[in-house]
Amino acid sequence: MTIVEIFVGIFEGFRVTATVTALGVLFAVPFALIFGVAQYLSKGVLRLAVTAIIEFWRSSAVIILLFVFYYVLPVIGIQLEAITVSAVVLGLNTGGYGSQAVRAGLQALDRGQLEAALALGLSRRHALTLIELPQALTRMAPTFINQFIQLIKGTALVSLVTLTDMTFRAKEIAELEYNPVGVYTALLLAYFVVCYPVTVFGRWVEQRIGAGRGLTSEF
Amino acid sequence: MSFDLAFAASTIPTILSVVGTTIGVALLSCAGASILGFSLEMARRAGSIAGYAMRFAIDFIRSTPALAWLYFLYFVLPHWNVTLPALVVGILGLSIYFSGYLAEVFKAGIDAIPKGQAEAAKALGLHRSDVVFFILAPQMLRNVAAPVGNHFVSILKATPYLAVIAVPEMLGRAFDIASDTYRYAEPLTVVGIVFLLLALAIAHVVKVLERKFLGPTGR
Repeated sequence: MTIVEIFVGIFEGFRVTATVTALGVLFAVPFALIFGVAQYLSKGVLRLAVTAIIEFWRSSAVIILLFVFYYVLPVIGIQLEAITVSAVVLGLNTGGYGSQAVRAGLQALDRGQLEAALALGLSRRHALTLIELPQALTRMAPTFINQFIQLIKGTALVSLVTLTDMTFRAKEIAELEYNPVGVYTALLLAYFVVCYPVTVFGRWVEQRIGAGRGLTSEF
Repeated sequence: MSFDLAFAASTIPTILSVVGTTIGVALLSCAGASILGFSLEMARRAGSIAGYAMRFAIDFIRSTPALAWLYFLYFVLPHWNVTLPALVVGILGLSIYFSGYLAEVFKAGIDAIPKGQAEAAKALGLHRSDVVFFILAPQMLRNVAAPVGNHFVSILKATPYLAVIAVPEMLGRAFDIASDTYRYAEPLTVVGIVFLLLALAIAHVVKVLERKFLGPTGR
């Protein structure tokens, strides 16, 4: 096999890599928004509970979380497909990181924004959804894009729970013929081809936001 | 089959017996990633062709998963007649993977130092190396302490990746127990809890150190 053939063979796993990533985003985004906002707004015992849930998903080692959920859920009577378990674990882990970006973004806003919104007669809910969140999320966009790249790279772990993603394909090809240099170089290249455009997009967004912020601060 | 608490408890000593490996791997990887990351960033700053090459190297590392790096080193190095113990390969893999992130952190830390600092030092007649070591480096360290601390915690959480290249660390031990007893849920849950506690404890230590060295205004 030439390196091109190996590369094409590895890319047969792209469908699984992309599916896990997309499903992971479906879990990550709501988690990050709900728990980030909840941590920002809540006080006392509720805040403690919210923080505990966030820390569980964020501070655990994701590779171990994946194995724990993959092996423990069936024991307590919950049968899920490997792809579902992977999407939930990788998604909520990324969501845990995302929630911290959401909260930090909200906390970093000028207090005057909220005070002005309330003074103009907006309800707390409207002040949050119309004034605070749009600014916080825009400012945090580069962070979210970085976390999205982390999620894509994290999906390599699903090869360890029998899903045929790009990494799993590489291991299959490596078993067919002895060419470690070709196979694992192609594997690194495959992820680079997928992730690098997102990195470039992230830089572009960062520059745009930087430029925009400079402009608005003048007025 | 149900979750057996007594069996779970009986696995704790075996798993904890290699906690030293986990911490040792994490510390050496932190050192390796910092040195490599700093060198990459210094080379990127040199400009010219080397600078562009390093820019590409950093982007490449940031766009590829840790698992792919571990496989690459583990299978390709012996092919090039470089035989290293799996433990060393693991530390090398984590160092490379995280050096990309640390290079970006160092870049931000250096960019954030006002230009006047170096200019003033030069105007006062300080030697070039004195400017770097006594004026720029201390300020950069202050700027990067918090993000570097976060990445060190990430490195700790990435050490179980080494189980896939047969390094006997905590996750590897848990799988040894699992394949001996055909019970996966209990040892994996124990590893999960140990890692969560370890990560939270080290994150706390990092925060305390930050506060101690940076003062109450530390970022």
